[in-house]
Amino acid sequence: MLSLANRQPILGPTKFTRPGEYDVEQFIHELSDSYTVKKERVRTETVRIYDTFDWRLFNKSLVLYSSGDKLHLRKLSEREILYSVTIPSVPVFVWEFPSSRLKEQLAAVLDVRALLKLAEIHSRSMPYSLLDREGKTVVRLVYEEIRSSRDRKAPSLAAHLRLEPVRGYSKHFQRIARRFEQAGLTVSTEDEIYFKGLKASDKTPGSYSSKLAFQLDPAMRADEAAKVILRFLLRVLQVNAVHIEKDIDTEFIHDFRVAVRRTRAALGQIRSVFPAETTERFKKDFAFVGQLTNELRDLDVCLLKEDAYKAKVAPVLRKDIEPLFDYLRKKRSEAFQKVIRGLKSKRVATVLKDWEVFLDTSPQDSPVAANAGVPAITLAQKRIFRKYKSAVKAGTRISENADDKMLHVLRIHCKKLRYLMEFFASLFHPEAINSLIDQLKRLQDNLGDFNDLRVQEEYLLTVARQLPVNREGSEKIFLAIGSLVGALAGDRKLVKNAFAETFADFAAPANKELFQNLFAGQTSLRTHDNTGHL
Amino acid sequence: MTTLAIYSNKGGVGKTAAAVNLSYLAARTGMKTLLCDLDPQGSATYYFRVKPKLRSGAKGLIKGGKQVFRSVKRTDYENLDLLPADFSLRNLDIRFNKLKRPQKRLRRILAPFRDEYDLILLDCPVTISILAENIFNAADFTLVPLIPTTLSLRTHRQLLSFCKKKNFDVGRIYVFFSMVDRHKKMHRELLAAAPKMLKGVLESPIPYLAQVEKMGIHREPVVVFSPGSEASRSYQNLWDRIHEIVRSTDASDVTVPPGIPL
Repeated sequence: MLSLANRQPILGPTKFTRPGEYDVEQFIHELSDSYTVKKERVRTETVRIYDTFDWRLFNKSLVLYSSGDKLHLRKLSEREILYSVTIPSVPVFVWEFPSSRLKEQLAAVLDVRALLKLAEIHSRSMPYSLLDREGKTVVRLVYEEIRSSRDRKAPSLAAHLRLEPVRGYSKHFQRIARRFEQAGLTVSTEDEIYFKGLKASDKTPGSYSSKLAFQLDPAMRADEAAKVILRFLLRVLQVNAVHIEKDIDTEFIHDFRVAVRRTRAALGQIRSVFPAETTERFKKDFAFVGQLTNELRDLDVCLLKEDAYKAKVAPVLRKDIEPLFDYLRKKRSEAFQKVIRGLKSKRVATVLKDWEVFLDTSPQDSPVAANAGVPAITLAQKRIFRKYKSAVKAGTRISENADDKMLHVLRIHCKKLRYLMEFFASLFHPEAINSLIDQLKRLQDNLGDFNDLRVQEEYLLTVARQLPVNREGSEKIFLAIGSLVGALAGDRKLVKNAFAETFADFAAPANKELFQNLFAGQTSLRTHDNTGHL
Repeated sequence: MTTLAIYSNKGGVGKTAAAVNLSYLAARTGMKTLLCDLDPQGSATYYFRVKPKLRSGAKGLIKGGKQVFRSVKRTDYENLDLLPADFSLRNLDIRFNKLKRPQKRLRRILAPFRDEYDLILLDCPVTISILAENIFNAADFTLVPLIPTTLSLRTHRQLLSFCKKKNFDVGRIYVFFSMVDRHKKMHRELLAAAPKMLKGVLESPIPYLAQVEKMGIHREPVVVFSPGSEASRSYQNLWDRIHEIVRSTDASDVTVPPGIPL
């Protein structure tokens, strides 16, 4: 709560909270000693709050809400509306929006994620005009009650008096604001309704993110640290699994896959912290869970790129590629059903249940695995530095005419290194580790683009073999696919050309020194003798 | 943004009643509108129940800038603001005359409002001097109310020759008939003949009606206190014609109102 006493005169609309048993009618009546109080017509309004599942707008301090047929975007804790559009119903994806500044702003934040209606708030406003001796409105006063349902008996989430200045009559506004304060009303924070509305709908802003967010302790046992990481990943996996079935957008399956991949990487890279047979079993199990979704993700990637692909096809063949996407869409719906069946299968249920039980079991006092009792920081440093060295070694061997397989090997090394750095990021100085992650990310982007293009070319060629050809003239589709594959191969060449320079940055002595300082310098932290095989 | 002056070099022709109702109707279509009451009698200001007071009076107005900005009052109607009259405006002509290059001063005074409003309406006093020149320089269009009498037409011809002499584009002057009494033969005949005699006649006359005079009692636009009346319909017709003219020349978008603050 803010106090009026220490503030500059407020000139914008100001909300005042109503103390619990405060008689608003009585208070407004008391104002009639200086003004004629005119009661205006009661207004009701429904406000809907939107965001993505992973709170992309909230994370950028943005609030998107509809009121009537208007959709507004504003900054959290700021009154001013950035952009508004008139829209009959709120689209799910940003590309469905009409061209506008709002669309541009949202596109940068939402990307391919669906907009979800997270809360609905119902407001009932009783406006009053305060008139001077001329009968002119000099201040407006609105008593507003907010509920999460239209039912007036439903408990009110918030009730406040909103004082609205009238241009040219600021003295009256300030006079009444002072009277409010003397009567014990306090200025309420601007986003109270946003948070209360979401809370009433059981939503907590920022509650989900696929980004790794946990704090490890350098001295904690490595097996405990591994379990913290893996429990977080399991939660991400479970949250997304629940939503995959609703087929809201492609990112639930994507986040699910990333969590599976990270789990597999953690099992493989945070070595010898669990009994060998346990690690082996779950490595296999999660490989199985991951491959269940491979086909669906490949199809999603192709369909998300539909417009970009069409633009790459030679203009004369552009309409001939249309049937390819119809075919992919059909295949996608089959693949989607397959994923749903797979995720509901007994095997997946058993894997996830057994995994949860294992993660929730407290570690034994005398560790069985060689690295289980090692301090987390020691294991983290050793593993990261070793992986960095293997990445540099693998990259150095790649010459201009090197086989594409070598790039693939380097990509896998880098991926594992990235995961390790992210798993243990909380043990290091954020600035230092983040700058190294950024450097690595640049290399990964290059390798990732190269791999994506290669996979897409192969995928399109595979699909071409499966395409049913029974219409006359349909052979043109193969020409169109050929044209697209040719364009992708051209792009891939450009990406490959950029590799040498990107890798040189990554493997540069200065960067190596940073890696060394952070991951090979603090051997004194080692407190356990049983270092085992790292 | 468009500036529209409601001007007459003859008094008592229904100029202020038109300014008040047209500005209200413009605001109702969603246009951010500013009505400037330049008449020291302050009738438009009175109709909107605002005190006739400018910060630093006519002197402040001529200086322009912050003081003028801070003198603006929001009326009781959405999108409609008023720059009130002030008794000191009676000396506006003299004050303009004292300036070095006075003809375009009003245009300069209004310049800061161009970004904020879609339409600026000027309710002008009876004048055919340096103030009139300022008005013609500031306005994109001028709207002249005429009572259908021979004397009124004569006065209008005087205005047109004044404009020609001063090189103002007479093509931007529009005329509408005001206080029309269909019981009078002369009114009927002139109304019928006018489009041939004059250019820029908007065929949406405002009849002489008691409802319009009652604006002084209600202190509201007639469109507000008597929406279904003949007077309201007449002003609506007139506004529709003017709106077409404004729209045909001004492509700027009307801003979307922000809705309730969440």
